[in-house]
Amino acid sequence: MISSVLFIILSLVIIVTAMLSLYFRDLLASIVSYAVMSLVLTVVYFHLDAPDVAIAEAAIGAALTISIFVLTIKLTRRREE
Amino acid sequence: MKLASFLSLVLITGFLFVSINKLHPVGSPMGNPDALKDRGTAVTDIKNVSTMDDYYLRNSQTETGSNNVVASIVFDYRGFDTLGEATVLFLVVTSISMLLSLLYKREDVDDYEFRKPNEFPGDVSRIISYGSYLLYPLIITFGVYLVIHGHLSPGGGFQGGAVMASGTALLLVSALITRHVHRTRRIFSFFESLGLTIFISMGFAGIGTTFLYNFLAQGSASLFGRAIPFGPNPGYLNSGGMLPVLSFAIGVEVFFGLSIILVSLFHVARHRKDPE
Repeated sequence: MISSVLFIILSLVIIVTAMLSLYFRDLLASIVSYAVMSLVLTVVYFHLDAPDVAIAEAAIGAALTISIFVLTIKLTRRREE
Repeated sequence: MKLASFLSLVLITGFLFVSINKLHPVGSPMGNPDALKDRGTAVTDIKNVSTMDDYYLRNSQTETGSNNVVASIVFDYRGFDTLGEATVLFLVVTSISMLLSLLYKREDVDDYEFRKPNEFPGDVSRIISYGSYLLYPLIITFGVYLVIHGHLSPGGGFQGGAVMASGTALLLVSALITRHVHRTRRIFSFFESLGLTIFISMGFAGIGTTFLYNFLAQGSASLFGRAIPFGPNPGYLNSGGMLPVLSFAIGVEVFFGLSIILVSLFHVARHRKDPE
């Protein structure tokens, strides 16, 4: 019971952060929101007994993609028109 | 246009909700509940098997000698798909580093430098630098563990390589390495090609039967051929046949390939050619 309630809360957090990362005009805030989404998604994958996918999501979604996006922002503009 | 996107969203959501009901519990057979009972001693045993999942659950431990069914599918039964993925990653890394090498001046990049923790540049916070100095060995250890134990526990070449490449990102962000690109890129691209070459030559080594045939699995115990019992067990490092070798090759390729992308991009972000 507790775990299913936690699961629903985590799923809602994923949806909210995904929508926030589309909503923000400040691209750095958008990327941070995307990183939070990836981290919570890692917990959800682990809860669904898929540790392979959880490790890949934590390494690629929360670390590599974020650093590549941040470097790209440094090369271009921070705010979206 | 808005109506079309709304309709496609509703369709995809409905499809996902319908397919949730079709999932079956983890680790249990889907078609026939007796698929895991009374396992024979033959190498290929298709008694009670009605779907492909049941076939993998029943036969993968005997056929490939690996305890991790996911790794046995990724590197053995569907090894050709993994070769395709590795080739795609190789091409992506090649094109990205070619594109980025147009963006910086050549004379900037020739000196090589590894900073010690007491000579950090002023624009990087001391906490970040010391923290990543402590974290980097742990991340590399975890990645190497994932690669080596790919045929026993969750993980494998791709995940381990990505974890180690995130260690490279940490090293770059905390400015422990600066101004390094040419020599680093030469070393990294050599090892990336080496990983793909090991994979393809292991595929050709089993060409007597088929391409990417797991010829080591039924071989001698000293060469990754140790037999394992059926059912849940901790397993041995020298089991799995060709899977540890392929996992190592993919791990090397992914780590060095992703690191080349990060190093080139970081260098462009630091020392960009001034726009005219």
